[in-house]
Order: sequence, then structure tokens, then C-alpha cells
Amino acid sequence: MDFGRRAFLQFAAGAVGGSLLSPLPWQLAADSARWSQNWSWRPSPERGEITKAAGICTMCEGGCAIQARLVNGNRAILIEGNPANPLTGGGICALGASGLQFLYAPYRISKPMKQTKSRGDVSGFQPISWDEALAELGKKLSEMQAEGDSHAAAGIISSRPSSMADLWLQFFTAYGSTNLFRMPSAADGLKLAAQLTTGKASPFAFALGDAEYILSFGSNLFEGAGAPSAVFPALRQWTQGGKRSVKLVQVESRCSMTASKADRFLAVAPGTEAALAMGIAHLMVRNGHYDADFVKSNVFGFEDWTDGTGKKHEGFRSLVSSTAYSPEAVAKVTGLEAAQIDQAAQEFAVQPKALAIWAVGQPDSVNGIYHQLAFAALNTLKGNLKPNGLVTLTPEVPLAGLPPVQKQEKADEATRNGLYGFLDSVRAGSKQPIEMLLVHEANPLYSMPETKLVEEALKKVPTIVSFSSFMDETAAQADLILPDHTAFERCDDVVGVPWAPFSYYAVSTPILKPLLDTRHTGEVLLSLAGGIGGSVGASMPWKSYEEYLKFRVEGLAKSRKGAVADKPDVQIIKLSAGEAVKPNFTDAAELWKKLKAGYCWYDAPAAIAGFETVSGKLELACQSIGTKGAVADDKLYLPHFELINPSGDESEFPLLLVTYKPSFTAGGYLPNPPFMNKLIPNSVLKGGDVFTELHPDTAAKLGFSQGELVSLKTTQGEATVRVNISAAARPGVVYLPVGLGHKAYDNYVQNKGVNANSLTEVQLDPVSGMGTVWACRAQLRQV
Amino acid sequence: MSEKEHAEGGVRFGMVIDLDKCTGCGACSVACQAENNISFRPDESNKLRSITWMSIFQLNNGRNYPDYKYAFLPRPCMHCDSPHHSPCTFVCPVNATTRDENNGIVTHIYPRCIGCRYCIVACPYHARTFNWWDPKWPEPMESMLSPEVSTRMRGVVKKCTFCQPRLLKARSKAYKDGTDPDKATYTTACADACPAKAISYGNLRDPHSDVARLSKDPNAFRIIEKLNTEPKVYYISTQDWIKKLSYNAVTQES
Repeated sequence: MDFGRRAFLQFAAGAVGGSLLSPLPWQLAADSARWSQNWSWRPSPERGEITKAAGICTMCEGGCAIQARLVNGNRAILIEGNPANPLTGGGICALGASGLQFLYAPYRISKPMKQTKSRGDVSGFQPISWDEALAELGKKLSEMQAEGDSHAAAGIISSRPSSMADLWLQFFTAYGSTNLFRMPSAADGLKLAAQLTTGKASPFAFALGDAEYILSFGSNLFEGAGAPSAVFPALRQWTQGGKRSVKLVQVESRCSMTASKADRFLAVAPGTEAALAMGIAHLMVRNGHYDADFVKSNVFGFEDWTDGTGKKHEGFRSLVSSTAYSPEAVAKVTGLEAAQIDQAAQEFAVQPKALAIWAVGQPDSVNGIYHQLAFAALNTLKGNLKPNGLVTLTPEVPLAGLPPVQKQEKADEATRNGLYGFLDSVRAGSKQPIEMLLVHEANPLYSMPETKLVEEALKKVPTIVSFSSFMDETAAQADLILPDHTAFERCDDVVGVPWAPFSYYAVSTPILKPLLDTRHTGEVLLSLAGGIGGSVGASMPWKSYEEYLKFRVEGLAKSRKGAVADKPDVQIIKLSAGEAVKPNFTDAAELWKKLKAGYCWYDAPAAIAGFETVSGKLELACQSIGTKGAVADDKLYLPHFELINPSGDESEFPLLLVTYKPSFTAGGYLPNPPFMNKLIPNSVLKGGDVFTELHPDTAAKLGFSQGELVSLKTTQGEATVRVNISAAARPGVVYLPVGLGHKAYDNYVQNKGVNANSLTEVQLDPVSGMGTVWACRAQLRQV
Repeated sequence: MSEKEHAEGGVRFGMVIDLDKCTGCGACSVACQAENNISFRPDESNKLRSITWMSIFQLNNGRNYPDYKYAFLPRPCMHCDSPHHSPCTFVCPVNATTRDENNGIVTHIYPRCIGCRYCIVACPYHARTFNWWDPKWPEPMESMLSPEVSTRMRGVVKKCTFCQPRLLKARSKAYKDGTDPDKATYTTACADACPAKAISYGNLRDPHSDVARLSKDPNAFRIIEKLNTEPKVYYISTQDWIKKLSYNAVTQES
């Protein structure tokens, strides 16, 4: 048969044309597309029944209501806000939304660990059983107590207000040690200022939902995080339909997000915010624009005063009226124009509902006590501390109090200010050495400024016990690790929200069974207490943490105070002080059931009913300062502006380094989860390099260009960083974000930038020993 | 939205984002990642490779200290409503991405996508991302993957879908309940998550909805409107400098 080329080509064309008309090639194309999406290594998440579980996020002190989505009740696939909560309205922050990345983190510690090699060698951790771990820890604690060395046990715990913190306090008190410390937080300063001026040991609370004019001294209201439950409900209210109903004036050195959103931004030199406050007070007093009636009847120390011994002292009026606080003088100190100070004072004085706030949303105390008193003085002059005023004190939640302990010495809550002083004395090798340090829900080696201090102090402690769920920087240095459940696996509670005037309580129950061989640290404490026995065991009689929380909630139910917010439209932030809230629960069982279902308990703000100072009045001249010893200068009783000088020679370190907390890094205890890493812009982090922000003029003077690698050196340390030239920076000041520079966890977290805390220094406040971190001297050099 | 040669439903899902309220906290971006099984890598600083469906741009007013101001602009897919085709659906050679005219959502069928990335080139908002590599999750984190949203391997394009799986769930529920699925409403993960309540989501054609009302706000605007893409995501801002920046271009976030 003749089969020529033409025939062949015709046949081929026909075959191709024919098969194109058949489903074959199209089906093959579709099949291969599907096949390429179904490799064997493609994760196929298990299907099943989808359910929701309500809870409370305990990853920061915000205590936001959340709900989790679960598959088959044992696999969590989403954390989202709980729309039933009237404060958050279903909103959640980036950290909360990433919550599962901690539950399922590859760097979780799966069971108790004992360090068998040298300290810090992560490969030396060997798993041990819970029985072994508890026996070892219990034995050591019992031995120390038997030898009369109870004080040699120290603890560092989270600053988050919870029943867990109260249990720790109970344990330490019963055990006989006063060395229990909470991680420093900005609320410490608010508490101390309140204590000195009102005599009550409870932090100031600000009615953000009621104020019409807010003078914010460095508060990060819009920085995205920092107790969203207290701040965001107010923020949502402020901008409705393109109109801002509240006027916000922001005072700080850097053009932050809050400064960008403020109606007015008063850019001041770092640390001089209190000078502006004094300048405003100066004008208010000079022009008579203050609540004279309130001051006359309720305030002590406005006029010159006489103390118990008959000695005469200068009062606030005299101090603030000095020319040192005139608009011209304050303008010089702050870098503002005198006219701006006049305007701010005029507005603050004239607005009926004007409120001065500070420390809200800040992770650290950036203001020494006298500066805090200066901000507080503005509220005093304004009459904001009247019973239904814009400033109240954080109310106590009427939970059942823990059984009284036999020991006389109470691990004083005020010692939370003394953590820096404590670490200093440990480092120096004090007469009472610390044998054992227990660390829970805290990562001091990373989160505390002046890292060198923490490092050197820890070296002096023979036994470090960590309860961390994660191999963080501090856990890596531990000798024994008894891992806690993560936030969503454990029973926990939130006792009050910082800065909020209303009372708040919420309970978080586990959304699923614990994934690993971890144990609730509360139950570990109960178990240890039982083992040590005696007064310790008797002071902590509960068999489980849930039993303990139920016990506390019984007190709440018995108080017949407050109500459960079981409807999303309850206007909690609009409650005025002392307003009656009718309980909508009959007994403890019903209350517990509602709390477990994810509803929060709330009550109206507590009206300030009298002051417990030496004078019985609100004190501008804080007489209790005198009880700590001889006071050399009258002004040491009064609010005044005085910067605690950072160390270092100005000629060697001509710049100031100020750290800031951006919205895209996780604050405090937890590291950045991978989801949040995507939020970090290239102007802050590129690869492993963090950028320090400086003004174009500063960069030009130093001869640096955008992105250049430079050495940033302070008296605390040195790091290689890149330059980000930005007009957000104040000339002469360089800024570094906190939240980066981890050295532990895993490669999703590690080695991104520098831990700003390792470069900063802490100034110890002369009156209280409270640490402030406002700035340190720095230099930038070409690398 | 003007010429209608194809049938259109009474539903057109859209979004309004109030930039005055937005604090740039990133909750929307993270909630989207968690809802949609979005993968992540150890180093996310290469923003051309970093996968975010809700990206957050940083804008500033270009002025000197202390008048410098900055703002954040969350940008999901705009689900452009330009007549007949969105820029991306127009160029797709295999019809992997089409606009569902029943509700206006621009959808994407992953197995059909051949990875030519023509749609990425076409999108003026840089809303689309591509899987250059197989995504890898650290083993324990595979447990948090949702079975309701597909996981996507290398070679396909993906973008914000206005949480279409949530819409399908709402429609299924409507079927079960006996109500009209076309009238089923739902919200996106980003709108739910926003703690400032800056994101509103709903049916632009429903005169009673928040989005319909807010999209007509005198301060409402859309990005690069002059391209006639008819985006269904509106922004509100009282700051003129933000509006001015929206006229021109969207550059990769710094």
C-alpha cells in the first residue's frame, strides 16, 4: 500500500483535530491540573463537625472575649473575637488572632525538662516525668524552708492581674518569702502616683468613654495593642461618621500613630512631657483656671503647709508659679513655642470634660514618679477626682479573698516596683543570697530593659525553675522546666482591665484538652503546697485550679454586685461612678455557668469616697514621701520636672535612644508569631536587620544614607543596625522598636533584628525604686 | 456596573474601610491568614514573596517633623466591578478566575489555574499573590488548618475571596433553614476581627446596609478610580493627603 507523506500528514492532522473534538485532551489537562494540586505532601486537614467554644484571651492584660472554632472538638482551627462581648464587639488584636500559632508552636516544651549539661545549653535538656519534677522541686523548697531560708526563694511572675497572681502571692506568703515580684509595667507608676496622692493602692483609671478632651502624655492609644478592651471601645466611639467627638492632644517626641491621629500633636523633647504638664499647671494657677472650690475643700498641699513636727513647707502653688515653669521657660525645655503652651493650657482649662492621661498602652514606665505626679496634678486642679469624675481608681473585683496566712510578713504587693532593685542586689551578691528563682508567664531575660542586669543577676542564682510553655530566653537558662498549659488549654481568669474605670472579671476555660504532657502551674503550686504541708498546705486547700476559681467566684456571687454582660449592647464604658448595676445571676453556680460560657462580669466604676492620706485629703504635697526618711528639699514632696539623667558622656554619646512599641510586634511575654511577621514593614526589618529611625537632618549630619549599616552603641551595649531616614523622628533622637531580636524559640522567630532592651538602661526612681525607661544616650558610627 | 449584558443579582458584596478609625493594628491581615490557611515563611521581609491577601500599606503625608503624619491602608482584593470583566478575569486564559455575577465576588478556582500569572500583571492593586514554592507548615501547625478552605500548592495564584467559604456556609444554612440562599448574609473574617470596627462589609445594593450608606459618605473614595476598575472596596478619610495619594498608584508597601 502506498502511504505517502501527504497521507501521513493528513492522518496526523485528522488525529489531532479528532482528539481535540473528543473530551480526551481536555480531561487530561483538567486531571493534571487537579493532580498538581494534590501531591502527597499537600496537607489535607481532617474534616469533621465544626463547633465553637467561647473563651477569654489571656495573652495580654486586655482579657478580650474570644471564640475558637474547633473540628471534632479536638482540633482548633481559628481564634476570633466573640461578638457577644460589649467591650470588644467581636474585635480581636493581631496577637489574639494568631493565638493558635502558640498552641501549635513547634517550640513548645512537651514535658518537664531537667538541664543535664551546662546552663544555657539547650541540647542538655532531658525530659523527666512530672512525678520526678515535682519531687525535685518540692524537696528543694522543703529543705530551704526547714533551714530557715524561705527568703532564698524568689519568683518573677506576669504583671497581668489574675487569680493566678493571687495564688502565687498566697504561696510565697505562706512559704515565708517576700521576694515575689511581678514584671514591671506602666501600671506600676499609675498605682504609685495614686497611692501617694489618694492614699489608696490602686492604679488610676481614666474614663475614656466620658471625656471630651484628652491630653495624652505619651499614651499609645492608637498603637493597636495594649489592653484593647479598655481602649478600643472608647476609640470606636470617638470617630463616628467622619466626625471626631473627642478632641485628642498627643504629647510625645515621635510622630507615632497616636500623634498622627490626634487633633493636635505637641512634639516635645524626650522626657520633657512633664515639663509641659507643669507649664500648663503654671498657667492654670496664674490665670485662676482651676477648680478652686474643689482644691480648697479637698486638696492638701496646694498652699504652703506645715508638717506634724510644725515645720513649714512650700506648697504646689508656690512651686508651680516659679518662672522655671513659665511658658517661655517650658518652651525652651520642651522645644515647643510658648504660644502652643498657652493654647494647650487654655483649652485644657476651659473644656469642662478635659482629662489628662499617661501610661495608657505603654509597656514600660517611662516617667519617674515626680513626672507622674505632675500629670496627676493637672487632673487634681481640674477637679477630675470628684466622686463622679473622669479619674477614678481601678476598682477591686469582689472575688472571695484567699484564706489568711499565719505568717506575719506579707509579700508586699508594692514590691512589684522593686524588681530592678532586687535584681541589682542579687547581682551585687547581697547578704541574703537567692537560692532559687521561679519564673512564670514571664521572660525577664528578654522583656526587661537593661538585659545585662538580668543576665548578671541570673548567673548568681543556683537554681532557676521555669514554668514556661515555650523554650524562651529565660527557660533556656533554667535548670528545671515544669511547662504550663498554653493560654487556650487552661482555666484562667482576668481580674480587671488596666486603665479601665469599670470593674471587669472574666473566666477562660480550656477550648480543648491539653495537647502535650504539660500541667497547669496553678495545680503545680497546689500540689507543691500540699507536699510542703504545714501552713502552706493549709493556706491553699483547693484540689484543682477550677475549684480555686469557683471558690473565688463564690465571693463574687455573694457580693451581689455587678452583672453578667450577656447582651452585646450593654454600654459598659458609659457607666458612671457608683451607678447601680443589678445582678442578673442568682447564685455562684449560675454565675460560674455564665462566666464559663464566655460572658464577662462587670460593674460600674467606683466613686472615690474619701482619701486615705495623712491629711485625709487628695494630696498635692505627698506627705507619705516623708515617712521613708528625711526629705532634703521641699520639692521632693511635690510634683515637679526633673529628668533622671541617663549615664554616659554626652560627648561620646551625643544622641538619645528612645524605644517604642509598634503595633506589629507582640508585646511582653510572647514572641512574634509567624502571621504577625508579615506585618513588619521593610522600613523596620529586612532579613535579619532592624532599622533605627532617624530624622533626615540627623542622618545628613552623620553622613548616613537610607539603609546603611551602622553601629548603634549605648552604655549598655552595641548592635549593628540599618538606618531608616524618616521625618517621624525628632532630630537628635534615634528610635528603635521593641519586640524584635529574639534569640530563642525557632527560626520563624529568631535572629530578626536586635532586642532593644539590651541597649536601654533603667533609671531607678529615687523615691520608690521604681524603674523608668525613658531614654539612654547613644552614638551611631559607620560600620 | 453600567452596561448589563449578563444577568446580575440583587446582591453586590462590597466593603467600606474607615481610615480614620484604622490604627494599623494588623488584626484584619492576621484574621484573614488564619481563616484562609495562608502559609508563611521564616523570613517575611521580601514583600514581593510574602503572602498576604489583606495587605496593609503605609502612607505618609511627606511633611517634615513634627507635621509628619502616617496612616495605614488595609487593602483586600477590590473585586472590581468594571463592566463585563474585572482586569484580572479578563486576561485569564483558562477561566480559572471569574466574577460571580450573582454576588459580584471575583472567584478563583485553584485546580483550574495554570499559574501563568497574567492576572497578577493585570491587577493594578497588586492584590494577587502566587505560590512560587509549595507552602510548608511546621508540623504541629498543620493542625490549625481549616478543612473549610482549600490549601493551595505551588503554581497557583490566590487572593482575597471576600471569604467566599463563609458565604457558601451561609447559603448552605439558608437551604437547610428553608430561606432564600440568595438573601443569605455573612461577614468576612477581617470585618469581624477589626477592633476599631473600621471595616464594614455587606451588600452594596441593600439600601439598609451599613456599607451602602457608608459608600455614599461625602468622605468616601476608592483607589485609582480613574482606571475605571470600579472597585467594590471604598475608603473613608477626612484627611485630604490620604485621598490625594489614592488617585495615583499603589506601590509595594515599604
